[in-house]
Amino acid sequence: MATTSVREPPVGPLPPVRRSAWGITARRRLAGYGLAAPGVLWLLLFFLIPAIMMVYTSLQSGGALEGYSFTWAWGNYAEALSGRGVFFGRSLEFSLLTALGTMVLAFPAVYWIAFYGGRRKSTLLFMILLPYFVSFMIRTVMWKFILGDNGPLLGPLKDWHLLPTNFRVLATPFAVVLGLIYNYLPFSALPLYVALERIDPALIEAAKDLFANRTQAFLRVVLPLSLPGVFAATLLTFVPATGDYVEAELLGGTGNYMIGNIIQGEFLIRARYPTAAALSIMLMLGMVILTSIYARFLGTEDEVVAAAVTA
Amino acid sequence: MSERNEQPDPDAIQAMMRHRLTRRGFLRTAGMGVAGGVAIPSLLAACGGGGTSGKKIWDAKEIFSGQPGDMINFANWPLYIDKAKDPDGNVYYPSLAKFTKETDIQVTYKEAIQDNPVFFGKIQPQLSAGQPTGWDIIVMSNGWESYVMMERGWVYPLDTSKRPTFDQYAVGWAKDPNYDPGAAHTMVYQWGLTSIAVNHDLVTAPITKLDDLMDTKKLPPASVGMLVDDMKDFVMKNLGIDPVTSGPPEWKEAAAWLLKQRDTGVVRGYYSQGYTDELTAGNVAASMAWSGDVVYYNVWGGYSNLEFLVPEGGCCAWADNMMIPAYAANPVGALELMDWYYRPDIATDLQIWVMYMSPCTATKQGFLDEAQAAEEKGWKGYASKLYTSAKSEFIFPSDEFMSQEVSWMRQLKTQDEKDEWDAIFEPISEH
Repeated sequence: MATTSVREPPVGPLPPVRRSAWGITARRRLAGYGLAAPGVLWLLLFFLIPAIMMVYTSLQSGGALEGYSFTWAWGNYAEALSGRGVFFGRSLEFSLLTALGTMVLAFPAVYWIAFYGGRRKSTLLFMILLPYFVSFMIRTVMWKFILGDNGPLLGPLKDWHLLPTNFRVLATPFAVVLGLIYNYLPFSALPLYVALERIDPALIEAAKDLFANRTQAFLRVVLPLSLPGVFAATLLTFVPATGDYVEAELLGGTGNYMIGNIIQGEFLIRARYPTAAALSIMLMLGMVILTSIYARFLGTEDEVVAAAVTA
Repeated sequence: MSERNEQPDPDAIQAMMRHRLTRRGFLRTAGMGVAGGVAIPSLLAACGGGGTSGKKIWDAKEIFSGQPGDMINFANWPLYIDKAKDPDGNVYYPSLAKFTKETDIQVTYKEAIQDNPVFFGKIQPQLSAGQPTGWDIIVMSNGWESYVMMERGWVYPLDTSKRPTFDQYAVGWAKDPNYDPGAAHTMVYQWGLTSIAVNHDLVTAPITKLDDLMDTKKLPPASVGMLVDDMKDFVMKNLGIDPVTSGPPEWKEAAAWLLKQRDTGVVRGYYSQGYTDELTAGNVAASMAWSGDVVYYNVWGGYSNLEFLVPEGGCCAWADNMMIPAYAANPVGALELMDWYYRPDIATDLQIWVMYMSPCTATKQGFLDEAQAAEEKGWKGYASKLYTSAKSEFIFPSDEFMSQEVSWMRQLKTQDEKDEWDAIFEPISEH
């Protein structure tokens, strides 16, 4: 998240000053730019230059055999998009389910840790994070093993005739979303925890003193105060999940491809860099638009800052 | 594992081989890990306007005129070479160790290739910019990527006068393969078949023809694995079309079959790797497969429920070729090592390990000699497996079998052809 864009500008409107203070003003001005420099440099190196290169690539034509050349090939965009709407749609669906699923799982858990964890809060939070110390790929592959058609989970259930022999979890959309939810859980849990932990329990007591029952206290005090966390959690799960392709590749089957799989295929399998770049740009723009709309509805500046800080 | 000839322990050999993953069936994950790293350099290269276009012309005599360097960097597929353990328990590669002993050239062997297109994507930026890839030998299958490499002058033409062992022992077709006339740029490392593997525990009726792969009475839902790169040629072959001479109308016919198959719901996935994991885990009942993977699991791995078979319509062949990428530091040494793998004893050791097909004509005798030696030492099980293997058409194919059942695959030769091919087949697996 770009913190610089939402915080106070480095140099605010200055009070009228006498001429003799000119030197100080200039220094303050320079200091402001100096302080912003690392952030600007970061964005330049890791966002702006790659983004420009991606746009440049997306406008090339050619192929592996004759090489690529820049030709303002705007047609790449239309071509890349044709027949691909379904994958954008599916990615959106899967990532929304992921954001929702992680929220539903993480919220109660970190709520309990934040309010009832006591001295063991850190330990409990650490326990949520512990599985994620294992490599992402290994964890996903292990799900493939656990959920195998005759694996440790389904095998016995089939043997006891609790499930039909042809029952499966793998190679279904459910398996893909399950994998996504599992892998993105900490990105939801951590910002939610930060938000919930900041809430002063005295506020809940105050609500109760004012005759709120538990539900009312939750809905009117805890939930609104946790919104920055909810906002950050949604962004941190929804945005990366949309471009993800690993779960669809490993846990999904036919009919489960996400847009990330398509981009990966164009880039790595067919070496059609312009098409892949065009798809990536469209995905990026789509995400910016969607998250801006979301921020408009749910986010205030506070929430955006919270998201930025936790990110 | 101990080196077979020196420290006899057939049980240990089998135990170790059982745990070997299949080379091609290596997790896709490896390829994915690479994906992130590939993106930026490829993008950079693509941004550079694709580097030099047109073909770079090399003079083989000049390239191979000097003395060999003292180091060779060899990129190959996972689990595609003979292995052994020294007394300290360190894994080494006997065929390479012997080479170093004989020539004093060190070999750095890396399992760096998991997928042809992905590896191509990795080295393409350097090559198009006229820079070395860091490799002296790479092993890639015949097909589009190899073709592009040869066409653009990204692999060195070989000095064909400097491979005496190859000249003596290479099987006829490998001296003049259709994808590289005169074997001017490539030398076969191993070759193999693309056909069908079945798990007899899961199929309910015999699989004997292509259409069985969409027969929902014989196969449960989502239980068939398809090989995304090979399935087009394999289906064409089984529809009675010669893939090698096929054109867009035939491609569409194959695509229609594949689409029909997908619509029955019988397909589990379109794999470029990892299908063997699905086979051994019992997730797929039948899968398109590469011969060596399945033969290996069947013979050395103890998976007696797996069988490699060729359907009524036949199957396809491919070759994995050693090539020397342009700008390589040690082409002379590389060519020497490529020739080394045609020595009968070396080729036999390699083939017993990988269970694919050897381009060296002397390995069948090598198998028999090895079996006899094993028998004399009392290793009956090991000997009988070697005897059986020596009779297998999938390890030592007869000329009759090759001419009647096997086709090579379509070599795409222009960008337009490639684009049309992709446009026809892409929508099947991209789903």
